Amino acid sequence: MRYDRILEDLLNRDDFLVVGRSVVRTDALDKVLGRAKFTADYVPRDTAVVKVVRSPHPHALIEGIDIEPALELPGVQMVLIAADIPGENQIGYALPDQPFLNDVKTRFVGDPVALVVAADEGSAVEGADAVRVKYSPLPSVLDTVDALRDGAPLVHEGGNVALTTKIRKGDIEKGFSEAEAVVEDLYDTPYQDHMYMEPEAAYAIPEGSGKVTVIGGMQSPFLVREKVAHILGWNLNQVRIIQALTGGAFGGKDDMGPLVCAKAALAAVKTGKPASLIFDREESVAYSNKRFPARIRYKSGADKEGRITAIDVDITLECGAFANRAPFWLWRQTAHAAGPYEVHNASIDGRAVYTNKVFGGSFRGFGNVALHFAAESQVDRLAGELGMDPVELRLRNILKPGSRTTCDQLLDHSVGIEECLTKVAEASRWSSRKRKRNGSKVTGFGVSCAYHGISTSRSTPDWSAASLILNQDGSMTYRTGICELGQGAPIGHAKIVAEITGAPMESIRIEVPDTDSTPNAKPTHGSRGLMLGGTAAADAAIKLRERMVNVAADMLGCPEGEVDLRDGKASRKGEPGETIRFPELAEELYHRGVSPASYGFYAAPKRYFDPETGLGVNYSVYTFAASVVEVEVDTETGLCEVVKVWPAMDVGKAIDPLVIEGQIHGAVSQGIGFTIMEHLKLRDGVVLTPGFKDYVVPSALDTPEYAPTIIVEEPYQHSAFGAKGVGEPAIISIVPAITNAIYDAIGVRLNKLPATAEMLHAAMRGGAR
Amino acid sequence: MMEIEITINGRKRRFDVEPNKLLLNLVRDDLHLTGTKYGCGIGECGACTVHLDGEAVLSCMVLAVDADGRTVDTIEGVADVNNLDPVQEAYIEEGAIQCGFCTPGFVMTTKALLAENPDPSEAEIREYLKGNYCRCTGYVNIVRAVQSAARKLGS
Repeated sequence: MRYDRILEDLLNRDDFLVVGRSVVRTDALDKVLGRAKFTADYVPRDTAVVKVVRSPHPHALIEGIDIEPALELPGVQMVLIAADIPGENQIGYALPDQPFLNDVKTRFVGDPVALVVAADEGSAVEGADAVRVKYSPLPSVLDTVDALRDGAPLVHEGGNVALTTKIRKGDIEKGFSEAEAVVEDLYDTPYQDHMYMEPEAAYAIPEGSGKVTVIGGMQSPFLVREKVAHILGWNLNQVRIIQALTGGAFGGKDDMGPLVCAKAALAAVKTGKPASLIFDREESVAYSNKRFPARIRYKSGADKEGRITAIDVDITLECGAFANRAPFWLWRQTAHAAGPYEVHNASIDGRAVYTNKVFGGSFRGFGNVALHFAAESQVDRLAGELGMDPVELRLRNILKPGSRTTCDQLLDHSVGIEECLTKVAEASRWSSRKRKRNGSKVTGFGVSCAYHGISTSRSTPDWSAASLILNQDGSMTYRTGICELGQGAPIGHAKIVAEITGAPMESIRIEVPDTDSTPNAKPTHGSRGLMLGGTAAADAAIKLRERMVNVAADMLGCPEGEVDLRDGKASRKGEPGETIRFPELAEELYHRGVSPASYGFYAAPKRYFDPETGLGVNYSVYTFAASVVEVEVDTETGLCEVVKVWPAMDVGKAIDPLVIEGQIHGAVSQGIGFTIMEHLKLRDGVVLTPGFKDYVVPSALDTPEYAPTIIVEEPYQHSAFGAKGVGEPAIISIVPAITNAIYDAIGVRLNKLPATAEMLHAAMRGGAR
Repeated sequence: MMEIEITINGRKRRFDVEPNKLLLNLVRDDLHLTGTKYGCGIGECGACTVHLDGEAVLSCMVLAVDADGRTVDTIEGVADVNNLDPVQEAYIEEGAIQCGFCTPGFVMTTKALLAENPDPSEAEIREYLKGNYCRCTGYVNIVRAVQSAARKLGS
């Protein structure tokens, strides 16, 4: 269905009521008053505390676990090990490679072995220390090069390669033979910690003998339900998951939600009493999932005209101890390998490799940050080799309506990257930019484009659901499984409902996601929360609107086409005199037996790909972004500051400009952190930087100046009002824009992130101009 | 156990506390004032900021017994729903709130800043806020909110 036109025709308004305008977030009031409830805020005093007993070794066989010393402590209530798991001891996301509690061997420093349930925090910590686990340490592999050597210790029995991906398109030999310039290099990107302000938390309450409720921080309540039920060996309907307001997630809590909630649930079910598991900051940084590190070898060539003739890309993804989301992450990198450019000859290979380190996982940008860092560095270097302006070279290759992606997906509409790039170049006066030198400080400018497929990866079917009830008093209850993580997607849904039904925003209550009553909206990830979830909201709202209009037309004595719904009232178009307020209209629906409840369901157009060639239709649609940045590098110290950012994004349709800006600012900040500040240090598999002091993320002192955001609107036909997701592209485009600007400033290209002062200083000494 | 007396959000309260009890835990566990957040527990993130005798402090770094005889104000004491503080209004209006977990700490720090310095420069705002981390907003709209609050309070 073409939801962009359907809605415009249906509403037939000169101007939208709330869509496209910045409105005050309905959740902001409770948050600013300190009344908003996050998981830990629900936990009553004297609730049992769960602590995880973790492996201190990167790789070790478990010879025995003695829980008796812990049980002898007065505050300890129970100690749970693998044998206590009623269901299957397996919680891997995509591959069955991740035991829930280990009893055979451990694969990273922090791998869980047992759970201690105790009366209070102190007793739980003491209990965890008292559990005696006898380990027999094994040789470990701590990087992908070692892991791929013949005879390397095996992290998992099947070998250290978890999976591979590939794309074969055109003829790269022919492509490279047509190239005037060919560049090739290796690009390394590190772990990044999410550093959400709220550490992982879950609170589980058992009910009777066959039900448990878990309140927790998460991104996908239905995934959490599935995993908790799997561990307990229960049916899905015996597990109730409630998503508490979640204090930042950025992908991290999509993976951690199930792991943490299942531990609290097992403790609660086994003890028969409520139990809570709340990570401290150190646990969160040392043992939770991180952005997957990657090493990308990238070769590309361009002809005299600056057209990219071929790319040959080889991606090695470091999984850490478990594959987790690696199949989806690696496939995203593979599918997006050319960047937002049309390239006819492509050969791409990817492999995900196990090591004995903390496992990687979901993080904003999902593979595309590392991929675009390589691809966009290469594009700049090709421009350099050909003596061409980097913006010009990009424009000669850029995706347009009618272009095909690396996977041969035809992009017939909603392709706004050319406009993003052109406008951002204009706004930043790219063609007349000037490097400045002030003492030891030099400025430079960089540009980068980005694209990110919206929808689930690997062509898995994607759909979403929502429900809407018109209550007797005219207020509305809206339910979606899309989670509020700070990004505001559910508020975007409410705006879509408000626009379609004419209900005032304040009359729409968004219920918290609760698997006992909320329709399954699928996960809040892949920038799909607004696009997929919001279109299900639109579907529910359209169905309810039809009934409201039908009854209102009868009451007003006019054709349905003449009924206008707005400001909580129904009236006849052009005759605002006679109005029916929504409480009255709602009463009439109930009185006439017209259903006041509606269920919205939306399925994305079908996608597919050929596993042999990788070609097919991979993502529903793509969001595009372009950024220009100005940096200042101190050539004495290596310290780099991002001075100014010019952001542009094709969002399809802006549902709320203020929310979009907020997403861009936050993504850029995380991108600045990833590129020049954040450095997760490990030694022998031990995370050495488990806090804000050592793992330095941007503070208020590290904010660049922002030019006004350039919003390009190329509507997507199959989503409500044409909106596309906006959460991820800004972090993807900012990272290479910064490194390209650093090169512009000092002539040094760091292919290994982070480009901290230390690294830049060393690189400049080793061959700066 | 030690007996202490603290004026919390305008009300005098007596407590028996262990000498090692943190003010953060007293506020959250004993008083159920859960607007004050645990973010790191070691004074690095600012999420637990409260006012002690009007000054912004990290409640995870203050022993409850050290607040004996003093005044503690938390986010819950700043305003009620119908009568927001200009700082709170500004945070809402400027889009300075996303996930909201850091928000109470930021509001408390901002109030302390504006009490000390009613007309801070942007550089002074950034310097004062540097101990409060936010991972969602990139601080842009937070700084705008502080500037807007200063204008509201000044007019």
